[in-house]
Amino acid sequence: MPEATLARNDATQQRLVHALAQVNQLLLGKTHAVRLSFACLLAGGHLLLEDIPGVGKTTLAHALARACGLAFQRVQFTSDLTPTDIIGVGIYERELGHFRFHPGPLFTELLLADEINRGTPKVQSALLEAMAEGQVSTEGETRPLSPVFTVIATQNPLDMAGTHPLPDSQLDRFLMRLSLGYPDAAAERALLSGVDRREMLRDLTIHLTPADLVELRRRARTVDASTAVLDYVQSLLSASRAHPQIRVGLSPRAGLALLAAARAWAMLAGRSYVMPEDVQAVFPAVAAHRIQIQHGANGETLAAKLLAEVSVRA
Amino acid sequence: MAPANRVPDQRAFALLILSAAVTLVLHAPHLPLWLPMPAALLLLLCWAFRRRGRRFPVLARYVLVLALPLAVVASYGTIFGRLPGAALAVGLLTLKLTETETLRDARIVIATSAFVLMSALLFGQSLLQTALVCVALWPLLTAAMSLEPAAGPTRALMHGSALRLMLALPVALVAFVLIPRLASPLWGAPGMQVAKTGVSARMTPGAIGQLLIDDQPAFRVGFQGPIPARPLRYFRAVVLWHFDGRSWTPGHAALPLERLIIRDRPSRYTVTLDATRQTLLPALDIPVDTAPGTFSTAARTLLAMRPIDHTLRYTLESATDYTLSPQLVPDERTLALQLPVGADPRARALAAQWRARYGGNSRAIVASALRMFRNGGFRYTLVPPPLGRQQVDDFLFRTRAGFCEHYASAFVFLMRAAGVPARVVAGYQGGYANRTAGYLLVRQSDAHAWAEVWIPGDGWVRVDPTAAVSPDRISLGATAAAQTADAPWFLSGWWIGFRNRIDVVNRLWNQAVVGFDALRQRALLTQFGLDPSRWQSVALALGGALGMALAVGLALALREPGKRGDALATGFQRLERRLTRARCARRPGEAPVAYLRRAASSLPSPAATTLMALAGRFAQLRYGGTQPPPPLAVRDWVRKAKDFRP
Repeated sequence: MPEATLARNDATQQRLVHALAQVNQLLLGKTHAVRLSFACLLAGGHLLLEDIPGVGKTTLAHALARACGLAFQRVQFTSDLTPTDIIGVGIYERELGHFRFHPGPLFTELLLADEINRGTPKVQSALLEAMAEGQVSTEGETRPLSPVFTVIATQNPLDMAGTHPLPDSQLDRFLMRLSLGYPDAAAERALLSGVDRREMLRDLTIHLTPADLVELRRRARTVDASTAVLDYVQSLLSASRAHPQIRVGLSPRAGLALLAAARAWAMLAGRSYVMPEDVQAVFPAVAAHRIQIQHGANGETLAAKLLAEVSVRA
Repeated sequence: MAPANRVPDQRAFALLILSAAVTLVLHAPHLPLWLPMPAALLLLLCWAFRRRGRRFPVLARYVLVLALPLAVVASYGTIFGRLPGAALAVGLLTLKLTETETLRDARIVIATSAFVLMSALLFGQSLLQTALVCVALWPLLTAAMSLEPAAGPTRALMHGSALRLMLALPVALVAFVLIPRLASPLWGAPGMQVAKTGVSARMTPGAIGQLLIDDQPAFRVGFQGPIPARPLRYFRAVVLWHFDGRSWTPGHAALPLERLIIRDRPSRYTVTLDATRQTLLPALDIPVDTAPGTFSTAARTLLAMRPIDHTLRYTLESATDYTLSPQLVPDERTLALQLPVGADPRARALAAQWRARYGGNSRAIVASALRMFRNGGFRYTLVPPPLGRQQVDDFLFRTRAGFCEHYASAFVFLMRAAGVPARVVAGYQGGYANRTAGYLLVRQSDAHAWAEVWIPGDGWVRVDPTAAVSPDRISLGATAAAQTADAPWFLSGWWIGFRNRIDVVNRLWNQAVVGFDALRQRALLTQFGLDPSRWQSVALALGGALGMALAVGLALALREPGKRGDALATGFQRLERRLTRARCARRPGEAPVAYLRRAASSLPSPAATTLMALAGRFAQLRYGGTQPPPPLAVRDWVRKAKDFRP
């Protein structure tokens, strides 16, 4: 991976660099994952963090929200959570003499949906619908969500008892799926000896504004993708469809998602054009949860295999 | 299209100056002496003013604009005609540059340059001149392209304009073949070829001296059979009867055509004669017939109907073994014995002596004259001493040095004085036989004069007194015969040999291009079923050909860029092979740029830096932008990648 060079010619871009550095300070030794989560945010996608508890999923979500200056809400998914709990409810107010809508946690900018697989399919689909549409319809009224509305959902892959795994079709709603994993020895040591993360979170400086994020997203969409890169994306897609260990390959939507993520990744590297390296960097995070695999296979390994098998033509 | 009042940039202006300078150089040989240097200086001044961002002084410009036509009139007496016109055009082009401020001005300069450049062809259409004009179009087209708003780097412009010129060639060729030609070139009008001389219908001994060192080609002869041996290669152009003591002229008497008896099979040949501005047509001794458009004089020399103002081709038959005019008509006898009254008494006395000794034996008289030339201390030279009033006496008894004209003139004088009918024949002798190309090249330096004497029973017999003095003149040629220690370099052997070889190319050019006249165009087009006299058919063919050229050009321009040979990919693959040999293979699925960077990190420093730079540039070219990369940049990268050694 080439060491990223970031464009320093622009104030917004500059603030983005600072935000990235700050989150990296908080999550030691997770530069790649942090960068991917930023790319996801810049590409306007939602993020699924799949990991065991205690590796910093919540911290990442918090840090992202804080560094990007986004309003933050957290919802702990449980089996008794109802859609109105997240959307909000109309309550009759006697003084006013009519129902007034009390918005739920969904009406925020960054929503952390903790342990999403513990929620019932009903509440899951309510959330996913909101993610897809950018608006919610309740009590006969359509209410728009924030233009930068982003969901970071977490789920615990080990603790499967009493959960409702997200169906494959719903997984598609997330632009990326990430695992943080254990920190390496040095990072863990620094973590142990360092200050409490919660305190650090509080002390984080706000670098970006939601308006900045809108602008950065707009810019990310204008990053050039040459025919060579499009050819490469296409060959990755078709390879996924022909691979013997893959039941259902990548959809055209997955291709668009891959390209959007690669664009954001290239922008983070300070470039105005996408290179195959960018596609490769985001490919496992974007593709692994979208391919339906044969029994006994693993999405991440298969994604890596695909990358090794598809040659990049010069 | 940029607004017309935009100011052309520094580079565009420099290119304009360059085009004008090239035009000036091409015209320089025929411009009046006062023009080229000041014009060049003015161009330099324009450039200097422009560099400093200053304008040329208006007053100076007005003065120059007024002075130019006056100077032209002072030089030529008129502003009309080819030479004054060229001087005026070149001068005005130069002056236009002093007031070139806007884009519109610049375009006018380009159009004017193109016109003035083309007019250089009015002064000669040799292969060299045409090629020079074509090359001169290059900076001109580059200048035109540099005026466009998004003009690239100069190298790209020069490349582009060269390419465009190349692409224009087939179109020019089609237009050359198809566009109807006038019976004679438009600029073959009077005033053309004035400086060019050849053998003329007047001979003043000493006057063709200049001709003898002029090695311009006079004409070329393609023989259908073998080329005759050198001593037989006498081309008669004019027969001179009348001598006034100084000059020989054809005379004016109307004589009947001399009878000709031939004893061998005439050989057939085609003469390609360069413009002479005269009507004389050289023909090998002795033509048996005339060619279309020509007629024969009584003494069997050929004349054209009109002065020859462009290259002319004619086919003739000639016999070398013949008897000309076995009977002499009285008028002819009178003419052949004419002598100026009272001139050259010593020569007359000598002739009278011979007459007394040999009586009516003409052969003996001829022999004694030749003997005198051979043994009398005469020498052959192209730079003879000047002769006095009694020209023949002076030559025979004092200077005894001269070339063909002197000998022919003195010989005929002696013959006539001795009562033997004689006449001077002027033409060409010898020539260079180009065996490989199968033709004979006759230069102006092969001009020759000899004599014909009438001997009872034998008719007119050719006698070449020069051969008696200098047999080399006939066997080797004039320049070789005159070769002495003080011969100038352009008469040296290797130079003549070189010139003769070069002439093959010039002959092809003259035959295929310059000589492509209305007649030959008709012949060519009829072969393809086109009737050149019907403009519809020519227009159809022309339109069809141009349409086809346009279609091909469009197809080339619109060709999908991806389908073209991907030079960048090929270049990268070459680099990859080289790196693989250096034990740095690409990993499966590794992206090109990442691979190059990884390879660079395993290399020692200078190579690593180069490879990193190559990787960065490759990324920009391949992925930077959705448009295909600029070909020039790609070529540059490929070249650098080719030079890279791990």
